[in-house]
Amino acid sequence: MIVVGYSADPYGRAALEHGIEEAKLRGTTLKVINSTTGDAYADPRFARSGEVHDVEKRLADCGVEFELTQPVGVDTAEELLKAMDGHDAELLVIGIRHRTPVGKLLLGSVSQQLLLECPKPVLAVKPDDL
Amino acid sequence: MENLDWLIQGFEQAVTPMNLLYAVIGVLLGTAVGVLPGIGPAMTVALLLPITYNVSPSAAFIMFAGIFYGGMYGGSTTSILLNTPGESSSVITAIEGNKMAKAGRAAQALATAAIGSFVAGAIGTALLAAFAPPISKFAVTLGAPSYLAIMLFALVAVTAVLGASKLRGAISLFLGLAIGVVGIDFLTGQPRATFGLPLLSDGIDIVVIAVAIFAVGEALWVAAHLRRRPTDVIPVGRPWMGRDDWRRSWKPWLRGTAYGFPFGALPAGGAELPTFLSYITEKRLSKHKDEFGKGAIEGVAGPEAANNASAAGTLVPMLSLGLPTNATAAVMLTAFVSYGIQPGPTLFEKEPLLIWTLIASLFIGNFLLLVINLPLAPLWAKLLRTPRPYLYAGILFFATLGALAVNVQALDLALLLVFGLVGLMMRRFGLPVLPLIIGVILGPRIERQLRQSLQLGGGDWISLFKEPVAIIVYVLMAILLLMPLVLKLMHRPEETLLIVEDDKDQREKAEA
Amino acid sequence: MTTTEEPQKEAASNAVDKAQYLVCAVLVAVGAFLIYDALTLEAGFAKVDPVGPKFFPLAIGIILIVLAVILAIAIPRGSVGEADAGEDVDPNSPGDWRTVGMLVGLFIAVIVLVEPLGWAITGTLLFAGAATILGSRHYIRNIVIGAALSLISFYAFYSGLGIPLPAGILDGIL
Repeated sequence: MIVVGYSADPYGRAALEHGIEEAKLRGTTLKVINSTTGDAYADPRFARSGEVHDVEKRLADCGVEFELTQPVGVDTAEELLKAMDGHDAELLVIGIRHRTPVGKLLLGSVSQQLLLECPKPVLAVKPDDL
Repeated sequence: MENLDWLIQGFEQAVTPMNLLYAVIGVLLGTAVGVLPGIGPAMTVALLLPITYNVSPSAAFIMFAGIFYGGMYGGSTTSILLNTPGESSSVITAIEGNKMAKAGRAAQALATAAIGSFVAGAIGTALLAAFAPPISKFAVTLGAPSYLAIMLFALVAVTAVLGASKLRGAISLFLGLAIGVVGIDFLTGQPRATFGLPLLSDGIDIVVIAVAIFAVGEALWVAAHLRRRPTDVIPVGRPWMGRDDWRRSWKPWLRGTAYGFPFGALPAGGAELPTFLSYITEKRLSKHKDEFGKGAIEGVAGPEAANNASAAGTLVPMLSLGLPTNATAAVMLTAFVSYGIQPGPTLFEKEPLLIWTLIASLFIGNFLLLVINLPLAPLWAKLLRTPRPYLYAGILFFATLGALAVNVQALDLALLLVFGLVGLMMRRFGLPVLPLIIGVILGPRIERQLRQSLQLGGGDWISLFKEPVAIIVYVLMAILLLMPLVLKLMHRPEETLLIVEDDKDQREKAEA
Repeated sequence: MTTTEEPQKEAASNAVDKAQYLVCAVLVAVGAFLIYDALTLEAGFAKVDPVGPKFFPLAIGIILIVLAVILAIAIPRGSVGEADAGEDVDPNSPGDWRTVGMLVGLFIAVIVLVEPLGWAITGTLLFAGAATILGSRHYIRNIVIGAALSLISFYAFYSGLGIPLPAGILDGIL
């Protein structure tokens, strides 16, 4: 099973695309997680119903078996790491964005935490147009 | 007309660079606060009360007025974009506004809300300028007994009419009156309820109470119940309206204003009722009835205008009689008191420049709101990304800062905590907040009026009822208190109103 | 018909909110205090002030106790105050009183520490602590924001408004 950390922006979509490719290559299933801490009133990275519909359609079209979950009130990194703990999870796909060192300190970096803490392989991708 | 002269002088004062700056700050702060659910203009003005100790009265009031009007506008932004009203008076706006937004017409919804608010605000403020001085002049001629009657009426109206439970309203009120007792008795000089603490002999600083009840109480309550689902925010460009939208909006704006202003001016009128009335009126009069429930622009234009007009209306009794009819007005009155200005009918006589500057800056603030907020709407939407822990930690921080700044003593912080817990208790048990604050503000004044009236009347209780105005007011009060009983016996009008509301609620729930 | 009446009665009794007795207790406490305190006062100078300083507190105290009794009677009948459903609140969930307790504890710490340690430190503590208690796990970020707010407000109040907030142990450095 491939775990994809999804967010409703180009980085998340890039992760999704690469996740789909990997799943097809390896002939395995896909688990897409789009979580939010729920702390803010508006979280632009949390997919709304329109976007969810589009993502599900894309996944259904590509012929891979998938599961899409949107947990609320959880820490994103922890949620993805928990998913990777499952014994059939083989790869984590995430989209990464550039952060300066100060930026990482002040704003936190989910991707850095994942890259460092995940015991299994992590595929870090960037959107094509960057 | 000398009032016009005063107004012009007020404008001259209000457009000084310093005061304009305060106006802009007020308007921005008010909108920001109105946009964020959970934080309102009342809490913001309360949090800013401590600055009244060091800033000129006109500057402070200009800012508060901006916050007041801005809060109304910000609330509608959230209603439309988020289907979560930023202010309780924006609940109705959410019905049609959010549907419009979902259908891709967010820009039009925001535009009609903004322009309608401006129109209503301008008309409302003009009416305020026209009506408040004569009312105040008339009130000055009233004797102590009549004024006492009016104050008692305001107390009763706010307690008994607003809110579902009269028992709880009364509980809040008497708790507020109890708090007002603390301090030195003005006639005999004896300390009352001061726990033997000399620091309490001036009474509990009303600023501390306001901040504690509004800000700390709210923060603690939310801490106990933090909701964790982020809601959809609908992206929006700059608000604008097509010609058709203008055509459909302008009459609802005027009708909404007509509803809002009187309700705002009456004690216990509030802003929720006129917005509701405006909505049903627009629905009934509309040529596009089928659009209602799916995004009819009249359903946004009317209620928003009503909302803002009611805000202007609230200021009429506040400035002319010194009677607050909603929480924000009550907190603003607190500011008057902390400046040592006696709110009441003599305000226009004693501080004409201050009052007219305030009124002038209401006009200016209203205009600024339109000009600043139309282009900034997408920015306000971004504000909603602030995580709640920071918002509420911020509230606690500023509340503590404010309370500390009042007298720089830790005792005030202890009081802040105690009354914050009282505020929490009130929210948990459904005790309305407004009667308590009004009790704290009006209690000592009522006692003073009562004892002075009796003094003047030679200690004779009948003297309280000798003035015609007093008699009329007492009769009105009796009617107000007895009406629910009468209605229950007759079994009709109150229930029908509730049924209509219920229907609407049920349909909404079914659709949502 | 007994069958239709009973579900209604059941619903009402399910809604009995015993915690409201707390309100009664508070009302009685405040009322009793007012009455006791008023009784220790000397009467006013009767001719000039027939009401005197005792009247108001006595009346308020008595009414508070009466209200407590009324409430106490109303509670078992299912009278429920509508808990404040603010825009940000989900009233159906049971209260998270642990969080509230921690915030109160933090507050008490601030009250005790503000004068010895000064505003710059306690303000930071207050903000960072509150944000963390409320769920934000970016500890460093919380402290940084808290420190910035505290320092800015310290200087702003001092130079802008002329209010010297406690400097505590940093007195002389700031």
